[in-house]
Amino acid sequence: MKLLFRGFNAILYKEFLVVLRDPLTLFFMFFPPLIEMIAFGYALDNDVKHMAMVVLNEDRTVESRQLIDRFVNTQTFRVVGEVQSVDEMAAAIRRGKAYIGLQIPPNFTRDLHAGRNAQVQVLIDGSSSTIASSALNTALGVSFRESVFRLLGETGRRELPVEVRPQILFNPAMRSPNFFVPGVIGVVLQIATTFATAMSLVRERERGTLEQLLVSPLSRWGLMLGKLVPYLCIGMVMASGLIAIMNWLFHVPIAGSLSALFAGIVVYIFCLLSLGLLVSTRAQNQIQALQMSMVFIMPSVFFSGFIFPRETMPWIFYAIGSLLPTTYFIELARAVILRGASLADFWQHLVILAGMGLALFALCALRFRKKIG
Amino acid sequence: MIACENLTKRFGHFTAVDHVSFTVSKGSIFGFLGPNGSGKSTVIRMLCGLLEPSDGRATISGHDVARETDRIKSLIGYMSQKFSLYDELTVHENLMFYGRLYGLSGAGLLQRRDELVALAHLEPYLHRRAGLLSGGWRQRLAMVCALVHKPSVLFLDEPTAGIDPVARRELWDLLFEFSSIGMTLFVTTHYMDEAERCSHVGYIYTSKLVVCGEPDDLKQLPVVNPPGTKRLDVTCDHVTVGLQAVRRLPGVRTATVFGQSMHLLVEESISEQFIRERLDGVGIHQTDIRPIAPSLEDVFVALTNRNSGDGK
Repeated sequence: MKLLFRGFNAILYKEFLVVLRDPLTLFFMFFPPLIEMIAFGYALDNDVKHMAMVVLNEDRTVESRQLIDRFVNTQTFRVVGEVQSVDEMAAAIRRGKAYIGLQIPPNFTRDLHAGRNAQVQVLIDGSSSTIASSALNTALGVSFRESVFRLLGETGRRELPVEVRPQILFNPAMRSPNFFVPGVIGVVLQIATTFATAMSLVRERERGTLEQLLVSPLSRWGLMLGKLVPYLCIGMVMASGLIAIMNWLFHVPIAGSLSALFAGIVVYIFCLLSLGLLVSTRAQNQIQALQMSMVFIMPSVFFSGFIFPRETMPWIFYAIGSLLPTTYFIELARAVILRGASLADFWQHLVILAGMGLALFALCALRFRKKIG
Repeated sequence: MIACENLTKRFGHFTAVDHVSFTVSKGSIFGFLGPNGSGKSTVIRMLCGLLEPSDGRATISGHDVARETDRIKSLIGYMSQKFSLYDELTVHENLMFYGRLYGLSGAGLLQRRDELVALAHLEPYLHRRAGLLSGGWRQRLAMVCALVHKPSVLFLDEPTAGIDPVARRELWDLLFEFSSIGMTLFVTTHYMDEAERCSHVGYIYTSKLVVCGEPDDLKQLPVVNPPGTKRLDVTCDHVTVGLQAVRRLPGVRTATVFGQSMHLLVEESISEQFIRERLDGVGIHQTDIRPIAPSLEDVFVALTNRNSGDGK
């Protein structure tokens, strides 16, 4: 054992000193993740509220104004202006001044009272599918509700024949940050730690210090572990910071146990660092290391279920997602943070992450050639 | 101590080291010379087990460098061409790091550190960061870091490149100290004056070892002293003007400027008076001419010319 990891203590000693002496590297390790976390956390908000709406009210009756109020009362829309023609309404949407146009024709109230089908037109900007579908659903909901209550009044019944009483578990307010921020932690940790380890060995190669290490009796396992441990510590500090921000800045409560969460984080970071080391065993300079790290980071952003649900992906992307550590970490983190899952519920994820980490670590120690050129 | 037999290294179609054979005996200072890109560093890297030879073999104390890499690691110290210490670490920390790397710990480590610090006189800089040391002190630190495990052979790849003359001389004094306690030194350099200090020299040119031996023996080689020629040192004013004049003389084979004088390789028949008259003709009246022995540089120039097929 001592021989297998020969030189580990020396590398560990040196690596801690080098990392702590280099405030610029530390800064670039810590600062971007914090910014990314805050930016992602605020920007990735699917809650559609108060969309700009222009109104073309050709009816101008109490009923038509009530209908507009019903739209506004959903909190989904807000009136930003009245227009005088359909062309003007379409122009406002085209120019981006409004997402929604609501047109109430002149005979709306008359048809309503006569028991005829009273029609209302809604124009929706479909450029953003999320916004459009949310607007569509809300508009349909408003008209449905209006129709049902009028029918109820006519039949004399007081209650709806069928009523669904939804109860939303785990994220009752359905806030987007609760869904996104755990994912952001996963992605941000990957970016910071993979780059850091990928760079650390490549920098030694560039500076020529690696050659000096290679003529010493240092074993490759000792070198790899010595490089990994300090960054594991830094990664844990960073993760704690990100969890704290999630809790205090984004008000995402942690339903499960912190120890379960941190168990997941340790294994995940180990996995990422091994990935970074693997990159550094192949890359000849820092530019290459950067590009190779990006190859692993981009899929993690798109295929890990961080933004888009994996279940709706074509099978190929689903399969790619299954190979990424980030996928398992995000699932685990969401389960623990949002649903209060215990490790017993998600031990498979932990085992998969640990397996990936060990395999990657072994691979980089084996692939690392104790020769140059 | 070191023995190479047809040592060869190919990178694709390029042969960086072409069937190089030589031996270095224990306790000697072996100077390895050659222009940039001639294959000096490649030879050192193969001897240190950093590069696999494509062909041939090399041994250190009888251990094959390619197959018994781990065994030779305890025997050799290596100071690479690039400054290869950690700038962020202090002198003390660099020494502690290398000590631990070679398995030292506790009191033994501290004792070794004190020995090395004393050896290189690094006491005043103990807690200064390596990156803030001047060139000479950095090289000293790098050298003692390579000595942390008491190797019997020390490889130094251009240890004096880019440092000032005083530091250069001090570094060499240190090398002689090591040599006197029986350590074998293998040094590459560009400086001819350093080569003159070595007990043995090898000259590599376009991947091939051109010559190898003791400096004094090399200076006796026939190719360096073609029969019927002699070497003269001519000291005068306006050396560059004089050089132009002398070069055109029949019987002058080579003429090179050395500071305030020129070194000539001339045919035996040419008298000092003949040269003096010629220089007088171009307005140089004060001339001092004396015969000299060839320098190592003359040796290498002669050998290089012969090898590149330019027999002049």
